[in-house]
Amino acid sequence: MEASVPAAVNVSILAISVIFTVLIILIFTIKTLVKLMPYQALPAAPARKIVLSAPEQDDQVAAITASLAAHMGKRPDEFRIINIQSH
Amino acid sequence: MEFSFSSSASKIAHSTAFASLERGDVIMLGVACVLVYLAIWKKFEPLLLLPMGFGCLLANIPKSMMASTDSGGLLNFFYQGIEHEVLPPLIFMGVGALTDFGPLLANPSTFLLGAAAQVGVYTTLIGAVFLGFNMQEASAIGIIGGADGPTSIFLASKLAPHLLAPIAVAAYSYMSLVPLIQPPIMKLLTTEKERKIKMEQLKPISQTVKIVFPIVVTIVCCLMLPGVTPLLGMLMLGNLFRESGVTARLHETAETHLINIVTILLALAVGSSMTAQSFLQWETIKIIVLGLLAFTFATAGGVIFGKIMCKYTGGRVNPLIGSAGVSAVPMAARVSQKVGSEADSSNFLLMHAMGPNVAGVIGSAVAAGVFLSLFGDVSSMDTHAALAPVIGNPEPGIQAIATVVDAIKQ
Repeated sequence: MEASVPAAVNVSILAISVIFTVLIILIFTIKTLVKLMPYQALPAAPARKIVLSAPEQDDQVAAITASLAAHMGKRPDEFRIINIQSH
Repeated sequence: MEFSFSSSASKIAHSTAFASLERGDVIMLGVACVLVYLAIWKKFEPLLLLPMGFGCLLANIPKSMMASTDSGGLLNFFYQGIEHEVLPPLIFMGVGALTDFGPLLANPSTFLLGAAAQVGVYTTLIGAVFLGFNMQEASAIGIIGGADGPTSIFLASKLAPHLLAPIAVAAYSYMSLVPLIQPPIMKLLTTEKERKIKMEQLKPISQTVKIVFPIVVTIVCCLMLPGVTPLLGMLMLGNLFRESGVTARLHETAETHLINIVTILLALAVGSSMTAQSFLQWETIKIIVLGLLAFTFATAGGVIFGKIMCKYTGGRVNPLIGSAGVSAVPMAARVSQKVGSEADSSNFLLMHAMGPNVAGVIGSAVAAGVFLSLFGDVSSMDTHAALAPVIGNPEPGIQAIATVVDAIKQ
């Protein structure tokens, strides 16, 4: 093909039309797919409630207190853990 | 054989590369050092520019046999991977394995922004023809506007192999400069009010759609533009590894080790093609200028189309996500997020911008396919190279069939 500016303009118009056509086909294909196969949320897993006995909870509080104290560089008696929730 | 000290010393002196060093080699060694500097100290696409710069350094040491044209040399073997279309498609497989098409599937109309950003490709094509390049060369230069390195290399190796080095350098250099090039254009073309638009949260997409999507894209696009099958096919295969959920090992390999290994080979091979003969030309400067033009127009095209979509949807689309229509995944999406959050710190555009961003990857591959259909050697695509001798001379094939039939009869 002869390289001239009008020829380049023609090629550009043709090529961009092809790109838009291909991508519009894909848009409609995706929309159809999404309609045919809608998203279904997975059923939520039942919440587990762990009931800890008092000595067990004390052990956990002690372990968490020690880790936090080491992490924050404070003494264990400088802060107090008031609530532990399990999910 | 007798050796005197002076003749031996003279022989060693003549065998050094210093004796063959020419001015062009020295300049290219300087260019290589600049690329290495940009990669290490300026962090410009270091994963690519570092091996590319070092490949250039090796290729310009005389007598080293490291240029892409040195038959039998190490980097000549790596270069075969570009010449025979092996390395860019493998990179695309890794990109596919890394890419989540979810945001695009959740808002498929953002495909249009990926298409609009290809405007940069075509304005550059016209500019390149205006500067005296022929159509094949202009197409290979224009695809720099797609902001997609492997696609640029793939197309240049097919349509204008002699321009591969400057095209690859321009593509990757400007890709690394996306955070600098795009924001001023985005701010110039949008108002403060538009930049503050908050988009709705994306809907979740079923896993089945995510699995079917790469298969459908391969069938639709590759049937329409078969020339682009190596690139798009590998991109979609990589994505299928990711989404199918049954090929965890292949997915992990494609997104980590494979893409890393291929990146090293590809960048070294491109660097090895940067010799003084191929790089120190006026064409290189023209390509560097045209590359900048390509990125500018691509960004502007995406943002302007974003503004149109914003108007059309009653202000539900932030035009800033249009700039992510140039591929450069995920850097262009990050730029959209950054500019959006500058206008309103509670504005989160990243996931919305990922839609046009991955659409840009498909769009630039489709643009390359169009160029291949128009200017590539389509006749050579009719038959697979391995089958050509059999089809060209049917006798061996017929003999083989006869042998099989005989074996069945017995």
